[in-house]
Amino acid sequence: METIKNALDFSDFPRLDLTVAGAVALCLIIFPLFPLSSFAMSTMIQFLMFALYGMGWNTIGGYGGQVDLGKAQYVGIGAYTTAVMLIRWDIPFWVSMPIGVCFAVTWSFIIGYPLFRLKGHYFAIATIATSLVLKDIFEVWEFVGAARGLEISPIKYHPPDFLRLIFREDIYYFYFILGFFFLGILYINWFRKSRLGYQLRSIKDNEDMARSLGINVHWAKIKTYAIATGFVSVVGSFHACYIKNIEPEDTMSLDISILIALMAMLGGAGSLWGPIIGAGILIPLKSYLKEWLGAQAGLVGIDLILYALIIMLISAYEPRGVWGIIEKIRRRKRA
Amino acid sequence: MTLLEVQHLTKNFGGLTANDDISFHMEKGELVGLIGPNGAGKTTLFNCISGLHAVTSGRIVFDGEDITPLKAHEVARRGLARTFQVYVAAGDLTVEENVMVGCFMKTASRSRARAHADQILRELNIRDLSDYMVSELPVAAQKRVTMATAIGSDPKLLLLDEVAAGLNPNEVEAIMASIRHVHDEMGITVMLIEHVMELVMKVTHRVIVLDYGRKIAEGDPESISTNPQVIKAYLGERYVKEQRSSAG
Repeated sequence: METIKNALDFSDFPRLDLTVAGAVALCLIIFPLFPLSSFAMSTMIQFLMFALYGMGWNTIGGYGGQVDLGKAQYVGIGAYTTAVMLIRWDIPFWVSMPIGVCFAVTWSFIIGYPLFRLKGHYFAIATIATSLVLKDIFEVWEFVGAARGLEISPIKYHPPDFLRLIFREDIYYFYFILGFFFLGILYINWFRKSRLGYQLRSIKDNEDMARSLGINVHWAKIKTYAIATGFVSVVGSFHACYIKNIEPEDTMSLDISILIALMAMLGGAGSLWGPIIGAGILIPLKSYLKEWLGAQAGLVGIDLILYALIIMLISAYEPRGVWGIIEKIRRRKRA
Repeated sequence: MTLLEVQHLTKNFGGLTANDDISFHMEKGELVGLIGPNGAGKTTLFNCISGLHAVTSGRIVFDGEDITPLKAHEVARRGLARTFQVYVAAGDLTVEENVMVGCFMKTASRSRARAHADQILRELNIRDLSDYMVSELPVAAQKRVTMATAIGSDPKLLLLDEVAAGLNPNEVEAIMASIRHVHDEMGITVMLIEHVMELVMKVTHRVIVLDYGRKIAEGDPESISTNPQVIKAYLGERYVKEQRSSAG
């Protein structure tokens, strides 16, 4: 009972936040009513997907302070599980998605157990390494299409297919991912108020202190890493059905891992709204820069230059990102 | 009833022996002081007892159970809490949240943890600090917060590491009252490392003195303050003279 109450209770936020959040939620719900280009629609879906990736990353990376740069491997596990199961055995999304989560979480335990013996930069580097190794394995693994990847051809199915999540129009995908998005917010709202949520923040504050308060630091990190993994894997499965064409280079590249971490940090690591704000800034910017400036003006790679700039600015001025700036202003006003 | 028994505890760091064959015991309900010059091995002893350091040799028995091989979080869950001399907070938690983390050891419910934390903050007279970030508080207040946090885990034995260091006389007075409250009213057995001799003399029942990693003396505060070995190693002639002149 308290779990549900905590998930639905946003009363510790100021009224202004809730008003803005409500307005944004409303805009998202009625967004497809406006006659916008398919480019805007796909950007919006990307935004919601990355906001969810970021929320997952934020559990371990933000609340727990363990900078993880290997989230793409779990995007890959989710996406491949769903794609392989659909193509080979015609298993619908709603079955393959939870199975993908099981695979991803199992993998996260296997690598999380040794990896969380490492701290700080060493941990971050190790997560990159495991992600790249997994990507290389997928690139030579014939069963999952090796480097060519997999393609879900929509012609075989009869869209709209709600079981397999195969649709012709993007609006279906939009509402599905929007549903996940709202559920994700509720989950994180519960998480940050749970015992594990508090313990993680204590671990981030001071590990020895956390230990002496009876917290099994290693296990708490592994558990949270599994939660983050679950989030990413669900969206990965969705990604497979939405994009329909997955290959290791796209779904499991280092770019994705970095983008996920960067977004959460830009918006504000360790806050509920941070990853959403970060995704809201970076995804439209990325779409614009990559599709528009990159493709039309020939400025290929300009998005990567921008990420580098943002990383430098955050680490130099405000490690807590946009949300950190907002909180700072509020504190100053109160004082 | 014996609550804590340390038997022949030795801790080596490479070639350095920080704790050398230390033995002592504590009864339930006692308030024991641990003094000695800087580098005598007091904090190392706390780290060994609370499980943060693995001991080189010796045995630690807590509440009838051998806790020597246990890890820090396992020791804590058996009812042994501690504070830290230097508290570095990354600054993500408010005072109330910090104390709640301690309370979460015994309950998974947020509302119960919060109620318990509020009660402790009230008992230690720092309820008005609830909404501040721990990192933005002055040292004196931070020390009381770490004490409150440790108490949140509802311990049988509380180890306090220099909670009065760097405080002004008024603040020492206040923390002394808090320590007494924790011991007398909450019924928690306390061991404290302290350099503020006034506090040690006034609140403790028994004092253990370390020097160069060895236990050089043990006894009631009165006898310790006149023990020639302790005066030579730690208190110094000046302290004794000052005490005499203030007494006379």
